[in-house]
Amino acid sequence: MTDPAEALAQQVTERVVDLLVNALDLNELAGRIDLNALLGRADFDAVLEQVDVDALLEQVDVDALLDRVDVDALLDRVDVNTLLARVDVNTLLARVDVKPVLDRVDVNDLVGQIDMDALVEKTDLGAVIARSSGGMTTEMLDAIRSQAVGLDQWIDRWVRRMIRSRKPWPAAPPALLAAPGGP
Amino acid sequence: MQQGALVSCQGHYAGSVSRFTAYAIDLAVTTAAFSLGLAAVSYIVHVVVGHDVSWNRSNIVVAIIFAGWQFLYFGYSWAVSGRTFGMALLGIRVVRADGTVLSPKKGVLRALVFPLSFLLCGLGFLGILVQHEHRALHDLIAGSAVVYSWDARAARLRFLARQAELTAPGSPSAGPEPDTVG
Repeated sequence: MTDPAEALAQQVTERVVDLLVNALDLNELAGRIDLNALLGRADFDAVLEQVDVDALLEQVDVDALLDRVDVDALLDRVDVNTLLARVDVNTLLARVDVKPVLDRVDVNDLVGQIDMDALVEKTDLGAVIARSSGGMTTEMLDAIRSQAVGLDQWIDRWVRRMIRSRKPWPAAPPALLAAPGGP
Repeated sequence: MQQGALVSCQGHYAGSVSRFTAYAIDLAVTTAAFSLGLAAVSYIVHVVVGHDVSWNRSNIVVAIIFAGWQFLYFGYSWAVSGRTFGMALLGIRVVRADGTVLSPKKGVLRALVFPLSFLLCGLGFLGILVQHEHRALHDLIAGSAVVYSWDARAARLRFLARQAELTAPGSPSAGPEPDTVG
């Protein structure tokens, strides 16, 4: 059983607190509080040390959070030039392992797509080749071989006409037909 | 002849002109070397013994030595690299009939049977003209073939490079592209 006097005292207290709270202007009271001074006295490091950040982050639905972010608007506000000016590209590149990237590149396929004729004709590479591999000997050899091949093919055509050969003759041995640089 | 046809002819069976020209060069080289060798021997004999020695080509010993020298020259060249000096100049090489690299044994065999093609007024060489794979008698016996091995593609690029350099500002303009690489 509760003491009747104690019950009365509790009722009186509740009534007084109720009247006191109704009489207080909380906004005015809040306005009188110096939040900066209050925050300056708070030890946030100690508070944060008690927070389990991992557990907190596990509860966050990052996808939902990102869905609410307007990335375009965010990017519009980013000054990329300023950002890049602050990036030490040399340090960044030093951390990049280029080998796995290059391993994924089919260099042969890449080179195969180059129009060497156009490249030689339109760039300084032509001058480099001309200087490095030129010379009277090379030119003379190219000329002699080319003339010989031309005469070979001319005679070949005439012989085939003379012997009335209609079936196509094999151009090269089987192993060379499939070789790179072969026909 | 069109440039495209030339550029793509690497690995094709070599024709009669290339092969004959290569052989003519080899013959000139071996004969010159042999003559130089004989002259050197004559000089040494003259210095050591004091007698003059004259070599007669119709002499059977000289003919045999010359044939041996020819066999050594062609056999060694074909066995080691599949090409003689003349063939290297003309950009042709000897390969097996299937196009793979000629083995040293086949190279020596080819040099051994090579004289057979000269028999019957050189009828053995007729195969270079009329045989489908341009193989002479000694090729058929040794299981070999002769193909173009020079890099016509590189020659084409060299040609274009020279043209580009000639047409560059400050250079006299080049004439039209010739029919053949060079």
